[in-house]
Amino acid sequence: MNTAEQCPRTEALSALVDDELGEPDRMALNAHVAGCALCAPVLAELRQLRIRFAALPAVVPGVDFATLVDRRIAAAGAPKPKAQPQRWRWWQVAPAALGGALSLSFGAYLGSALLLGSQVAAQPAALQMAAFTEIPPGALCPAVQACNPMGR
Amino acid sequence: MLASDGPDEDWVRRAQAGDRKAFSELVRRHQDRVYRYLLRMLGSHDDALDLTQDAFVKAWQALPQWQPEAQFRTWLFRIANNTALDTLRRRKLVEFVPLEDAFDAPGAGPDPERQAQVTQEVRQLEASLKRLAPEHRQILLLREVEEMSYEEIGRVLSLSEGTVKSRLARARTALIEIHARSR
Repeated sequence: MNTAEQCPRTEALSALVDDELGEPDRMALNAHVAGCALCAPVLAELRQLRIRFAALPAVVPGVDFATLVDRRIAAAGAPKPKAQPQRWRWWQVAPAALGGALSLSFGAYLGSALLLGSQVAAQPAALQMAAFTEIPPGALCPAVQACNPMGR
Repeated sequence: MLASDGPDEDWVRRAQAGDRKAFSELVRRHQDRVYRYLLRMLGSHDDALDLTQDAFVKAWQALPQWQPEAQFRTWLFRIANNTALDTLRRRKLVEFVPLEDAFDAPGAGPDPERQAQVTQEVRQLEASLKRLAPEHRQILLLREVEEMSYEEIGRVLSLSEGTVKSRLARARTALIEIHARSR
């Protein structure tokens, strides 16, 4: 007498019913079930279920779906099945890529020229800081000492 | 000109090029199976009629994505299954309305007693199926009614073969339990 621990799982019995086991597994399982009081009724029940499904009535719609579906496709403007997304070839994208590279290079050239120009025109730092002295550039001297703290 | 008994793949290629007549041929070949599956998934003739059309229209729109490595039937069932699940999710249906009486079991021969017994068994199975979780119902229908292999079911439901095997076993156990309780 087998114990439940020694028995195969239900999924093995289910696969046996479906004939989805390899030959060695199928033979071993059949041998086990033949002498197992636990598995034999389970297998019988699974087989019975299969017989019940086979008795289900054949269902026929009684409708020609081809006509209905075709009408719906036509009514929807009959878009042809969407075309596959186009794959780009290198020679198709080369002109655009070249144009883009040239634009970038020209932009970089213009940018660097502007930077260089601003450096040339830059004033010395001391002159720029003169704006923050007591008497800013262009203002009148109220007294000589005010504009010449050394008194000279 | 294609022979009407040519393989699906030839018709699909023509349909991919925009040939609606070729697509109609594909619809005719698969309409009964798709309808049958959707009827048992949704439990309603009217829903199955609508969703079968929806599934085929979606298939037409998705034709450019079809790859020759995929069997057309498997690919189509994937679309039909997703259509059914979308509808069930939208309605949040767990229990389904009963199948219409128009879908009685056919006669099982001249013996009226036997005929009544078969009708009763079929009704019980249909009632039990309706109480199953949708993921159990779909896998059982694909196996028992559509007779798909584990590999094909795996492709339709995007599952590994191991998962198909274990889910089928769980679905059967659940159905047997429901069936036993209803007796």
